Amino acid sequence: MNQLSSETFGENAKAALGDAQLRGALRNATTLFGKKRREAAASLSNWEELRSQARAIKDEVLLHLDRYLETFVTNAETRGAKVHWARDAAEANAIITRLAVERGARNVVKSKSMTTEEIHLNAALERAGMQVVETDLGEYIIQLADETPSHIIAPAIHKTKRQVAELFTTELGMAPTDDVDQLTSTARSTLRERFATADVGISGVNFGIVETGTIVIVENEGNIRLTTSLPRTHIAVMGIEKLLPRFADLDVFLKLLPRSGTGQALSTYQSFITGTKRNASDEGPEELHVILLDNGRSRMLAHPVTRQSLACIRCGACLNACPVYQQIGGHAYGSVYPGPIGSVITPQLIGIQKAAQLPFASSLCGACREVCPVKIDIPQLLLHLRSEITDKQPGGRGKERLAFKLWAAIMTRPKLYEKTVIAGRLFQRWFKPPVKAWTNGRDLRPIEAESFREHWRRTR
Amino acid sequence: MNTGDARAEIMRSIRAHLATSAPHDTTNTNHDASLPLPVQSPSPTAELSVVELFKQNLEAVDGHCIIVNSETELEETVKRLTEGKKIASPDEPRSDLFKSDVGVTGAQAGIAETGTVVLDSSVDRNRLVSLVPPVHIAILDASRIYTTLGETLAALQSGDEVSPAITFITGPSRTADIELTLAIGVHGPQELYVIINQNT
Amino acid sequence: MKVALFVTCLVDQLWSSVGTSSVAVLRRVGCDVEFDDRQTCCAQPAFNTGYRNEARQVAKRFIEVFEDSKADAIVSPSGSCTAMVHHYAELFSDDPSWLGRAQAIAARTHELSSFLIRVLGVEDVGASWQGKLTWHDACHGLRDLNLKSEPRRLIRNVRGAEFVEVENAESCCGFGGTFSVKYPEISVAILDQKIEAIERAGVQAVVSGDASCLMQIGGRLSRKGSKVRVMHLAELLNQT
Repeated sequence: MNQLSSETFGENAKAALGDAQLRGALRNATTLFGKKRREAAASLSNWEELRSQARAIKDEVLLHLDRYLETFVTNAETRGAKVHWARDAAEANAIITRLAVERGARNVVKSKSMTTEEIHLNAALERAGMQVVETDLGEYIIQLADETPSHIIAPAIHKTKRQVAELFTTELGMAPTDDVDQLTSTARSTLRERFATADVGISGVNFGIVETGTIVIVENEGNIRLTTSLPRTHIAVMGIEKLLPRFADLDVFLKLLPRSGTGQALSTYQSFITGTKRNASDEGPEELHVILLDNGRSRMLAHPVTRQSLACIRCGACLNACPVYQQIGGHAYGSVYPGPIGSVITPQLIGIQKAAQLPFASSLCGACREVCPVKIDIPQLLLHLRSEITDKQPGGRGKERLAFKLWAAIMTRPKLYEKTVIAGRLFQRWFKPPVKAWTNGRDLRPIEAESFREHWRRTR
Repeated sequence: MNTGDARAEIMRSIRAHLATSAPHDTTNTNHDASLPLPVQSPSPTAELSVVELFKQNLEAVDGHCIIVNSETELEETVKRLTEGKKIASPDEPRSDLFKSDVGVTGAQAGIAETGTVVLDSSVDRNRLVSLVPPVHIAILDASRIYTTLGETLAALQSGDEVSPAITFITGPSRTADIELTLAIGVHGPQELYVIINQNT
Repeated sequence: MKVALFVTCLVDQLWSSVGTSSVAVLRRVGCDVEFDDRQTCCAQPAFNTGYRNEARQVAKRFIEVFEDSKADAIVSPSGSCTAMVHHYAELFSDDPSWLGRAQAIAARTHELSSFLIRVLGVEDVGASWQGKLTWHDACHGLRDLNLKSEPRRLIRNVRGAEFVEVENAESCCGFGGTFSVKYPEISVAILDQKIEAIERAGVQAVVSGDASCLMQIGGRLSRKGSKVRVMHLAELLNQT
């Protein structure tokens, strides 16, 4: 698999712009998701209050994350869950692999979890000799295609029916068809065999409820219920930021999440899992393991501007609203999390040196901030990261830094500014590089023969 | 591997970074999460009964809703829907479960504003029977239907206790992962029948 | 009412008629307009590119220049520059000696359409222009300053002008300051979607409140040989 890197974002984006089929798919998907989100939000008269309340709840949790995390763990463990702590991806993978190996697992079923993508769990389990199958249809498709997801909630959004059909024919021996119902039922029957014999089921967690020690997982397909009900061991991977203080807080978040993501009032299934079965004869797994993952999240607590990154509920609304994402799709970002939220959390998770282009890949239009259910001010975060990047890369940005130092020297001296404008007017034909980037696609207004201030002085 | 180290280190990291943030926090925090939850103004369908509202919302997501008024009517409806079909049993071996045509369960509550049935698997062995067969029939007492999600969540909670395995089901399983084309019936049931018994 | 004009460096150098039109319109509605020629820039380019120290230097200069003004209001024909001034609090959040001064200047700084509608309560400035036109909601004006109905009310009072809404009027034009030259292909791809919508609307002109957006949109329209012209709101309101 050739995964693109964030470091080559510029080239990735250019390549994506040349892919007409991708752009068509993106246009359809983001337009439809955007429309459905708008309609769903409009159907609730208190939508804005819900957003404010959700942000207030998240701010509270994050500001006291240590306390809430400890209480969550106590409550979950009292009710039978085993909680494990993972400082980083390697540690999380080691824990999960050990749990699976200890239980003699060979066949692992997984439901869609961006957190498990983040830590590259599948590769780690496969290296340990396990067979891992993604059971969410979109994730299953990209697993067969050996690709990565291109959208937070619709991983295979970049593929046409035709492409999926060809994939199923090649990988599953399915008879060629374009019919989506047929494709879906092929996936259903193939995956049911895996569900029936799975030793371990691995899921993510949408919300961890502190008060009751409950994990909540949300879906439309039913694969999460199968993954978390059939195998005898359920492993749930949860970022440390996913907590909500009270069970009642779900009234706010279950209203915001499905509407923001797909425009639904509620997704088809919500599973509320609190510890393990109370009686041996009850249905359900024998064991529940919750893996708490840090992997750079605790660092984001260090400033209120960055702390809001952790409020994200992974709805994907910002992707659909973003004019940049709409043109280039998710793969160009070269990161697990694409789009506006990806542009701000990727540099924070993997280090700004490795993702220095992402915060600049935005026109700062603010459409993301407008649709975010928890009111993350992404443009504010982008600007914050841009200043971090320029501060930490004095060498790498030598020419640009010099240009802005010169700019500041000129702009703080009005007489010098006027002389510079006059000089620019005379020599404007000779400013090649940034001008060429403009003029490749657009005509450029020349510097005028008389500036406003010259006109003012002349006519006043 | 000493998990105690990981826990201590993560907690230390959280506390240290929150401490770094503290001087900046006074200016912009608005974290009163003990605020009462927002009250929704009445929806335009407020004139409908709770049962009618439930039916309307379930049907909007491709579920089937049948209202019955007696035990006899209930039995007849279930019989009609399961005639000639292999009915799943919570106690049968997995391989048989996977060959069943239909699963019949009770539902412990309903949410009218979304057409949702609530299953509590500690009360009824409904977890797999409601999930594996391609058809799920849920029997719901009209008196257990709440209007809102908020009321339902409150009813499910007793202090800091909730049942170990609760599932909300809103319609048959679905996906739009292939070119955004809606397909009903993916991994969960392809058909959902909710029989509302008004005779309780 | 006494108004201090904040003309913006872009208008000063590249589109002076936006400045002269703004002055004419403000005078027509009874304002006394002054222009302090010590002003240069609001510091947005540096702030947006991450150079906060340089931005602070220039912002301090802006604050000092306009503190000297006795005008009731500072008015600018640019949503993004006005929004930048309103963001000065963020630039000086750690500097109590400048924070108060920055906030005071921000409180007096208004975008043109916002000033006319919200401060003066004027919807009709006596303008007339024949033709079919549409409005592009510049992002900062729309989302930072909540300008949505204000420009439309002003336009609907222009005699002879037939106003149609363009599809996705609120979508970004793709300029984004240095973004337009750091990622020019993405910038133009976003722009083309806006251009398509404008062409479908069948208008003679597209109007906006930010000269930067108009440069972006106008630059592509002329490259494509389109007959559609771009006009700043101030220029439209100055048509009689």
